[in-house]
Amino acid sequence: MDYVVAILLPQLLHGLVFGAALGLLALGLTVIFGLLGVMNFAHGELYMLGAYAGIAVVGVTHSFWAALVVAPLAVGAIGAVTEVATLRPLYRREPLYGLILTFGLALVFREGVRQIWGGDMRRILPPFTGSTPLLGMTYPNYRLFLLVASSLLLLAIWLFFTKTRAGVLVRAAVQDAEMLDGLGVNVPRVFTLTFAGSAALAALAGLLLAPIFTVYPQMGVEMILLAFIVVILGGMGSMGGSVVAAVVIGLAQSLLTLWMNPQRVAIAIFAIMIVVLIVRPRGFFGREGVLE
Amino acid sequence: MSRALSWRAVVVWVLLAALPVLPFMSKFYLLLAFDALLFGAIAMSLDLLIGYTGLVSFGHAAFFGLGAYASAVLLERGIVSLWACLLFAVLVVGLYALVVSYFSTTRRGIYFALLTLIFAEVVYTFFRYTQTFGGSDGIQGVPPPRLVGGFAIDTPMRNYYLVLVYLGLAYLACRVLVTSHFGKVLVAIRENEDRARFLGYNVQRYKMAVCMISALLTGLGGALYPGRSAFATPDLMLWTVSGEFIIMVMIGGLGTLAGPVVGGAFFVLLQEKVSSYVDWYFIVIGLVLIFIVLFMPKGLLGIRELLGGRRWRATA
Repeated sequence: MDYVVAILLPQLLHGLVFGAALGLLALGLTVIFGLLGVMNFAHGELYMLGAYAGIAVVGVTHSFWAALVVAPLAVGAIGAVTEVATLRPLYRREPLYGLILTFGLALVFREGVRQIWGGDMRRILPPFTGSTPLLGMTYPNYRLFLLVASSLLLLAIWLFFTKTRAGVLVRAAVQDAEMLDGLGVNVPRVFTLTFAGSAALAALAGLLLAPIFTVYPQMGVEMILLAFIVVILGGMGSMGGSVVAAVVIGLAQSLLTLWMNPQRVAIAIFAIMIVVLIVRPRGFFGREGVLE
Repeated sequence: MSRALSWRAVVVWVLLAALPVLPFMSKFYLLLAFDALLFGAIAMSLDLLIGYTGLVSFGHAAFFGLGAYASAVLLERGIVSLWACLLFAVLVVGLYALVVSYFSTTRRGIYFALLTLIFAEVVYTFFRYTQTFGGSDGIQGVPPPRLVGGFAIDTPMRNYYLVLVYLGLAYLACRVLVTSHFGKVLVAIRENEDRARFLGYNVQRYKMAVCMISALLTGLGGALYPGRSAFATPDLMLWTVSGEFIIMVMIGGLGTLAGPVVGGAFFVLLQEKVSSYVDWYFIVIGLVLIFIVLFMPKGLLGIRELLGGRRWRATA
């Protein structure tokens, strides 16, 4: 019982917290894939930009909450400009070009941040400290906040996609962009706004996780691999699948850490991914035959 | 292949062979030329997959790095024969490539790219975090390999000629491959995989074969690397390195063989040139890549086409 309360339970919660934040990251990735057919290699850098934009805003206003509002908006704007300037001309071309383009974008963002802020590890202090007694243990308040905030965001996104006209338009564009265009909807604008939204979500994830992790220019490189794994596991283009897979990966990662060193955990997760890709490439909830 | 092309090719090869005797070629420039040709050759072998077969491998850094480690491990233990190093690299890379290509070629498109990426990441993680092969420091300070007897490949010039021979043989192999029936089938798979299958070709076997060839050529290139640098580190296998290989192919021009060689050399020289002036060269490289994707998707050799030159894409 001591083992459960002292070790297993906190680790389980850690996994859940991380999984929920990872879900925010993966959701944007999978929507963009469904919409543009592009695996966005720059998504990790948008995540990283979120954390650095947060550092900038906190530096000026000394308020984490202000950063939580401003940083995603700023990164969303960067995303919108990027989409219009670089991805829009590629709509009609093979997805391969989009993938390679986003790899170039990632290089530019990463190096740009290193030039502005330097390559050092940085931290953002959590807006509040302390911990709460919970189920016989004490758990840090910020992590609880992170779990609640991510869950509420995911819920809001779900409501957006199911209950609002804008959300339905995005889903329609994922299904059949040409038909939507024929119905008189400004599809390029839908693409751009969705890309901006996905960038803002990635930025939000980056900023929310920053007080737990460290902030450095390469932080997106490792996260993006994990996000790819989540997207595949959930089924490319399936939003619900991504969220489920994010929680599964978050839990798997934090639980496996109990028995293995972190490198073995990484390899174990890669192994899961390889098996899924070979046996069931459409993942948990992906549609059959899509790009298999 | 037309007479004009082969005449031009002779000039290029003679110039490359004469490069080290030019007066301004210092040791530094020779090593730079080594890198240019080495990565050119690797980009060319990747072009077999991307340009001809339509398979985007995001894991070529692992083949390169494994080749480098195979050779460094032998050199470190005092087995300094170049041939032993190459043979061992072929064995190690071949075994790994067999597994990767067997599983990866069952999938196409983005799934193929991700499978190769994840396999490579497993290898990277292994070498980076297990101390057997030096962990994050890798294997440092290995002696130069020997060609025969006591003839060590220990000067930049000897290294340069070694890599030139490697590039020449690799180019020959690739050229023969893509002009053969085998190469035609690869292009058919790229254009329409299902139709190639309906015609009775065992598509997966062809894909596996070209993966193996591409991986082995890349691994052989990797095996030459410790002779030049005296080290092998896990950073050689990071997935971003695989991305750089793809950039080289794109810069040069997909499906041209000669193009990626130019692209690889261009990439190495650009990085060197820009980084000697500013330390934000990755921004420049990223912008060059974006520019090429947007405005000249056929790469550097594609310019010739725009200018009305003949098509280089011999097999398309």
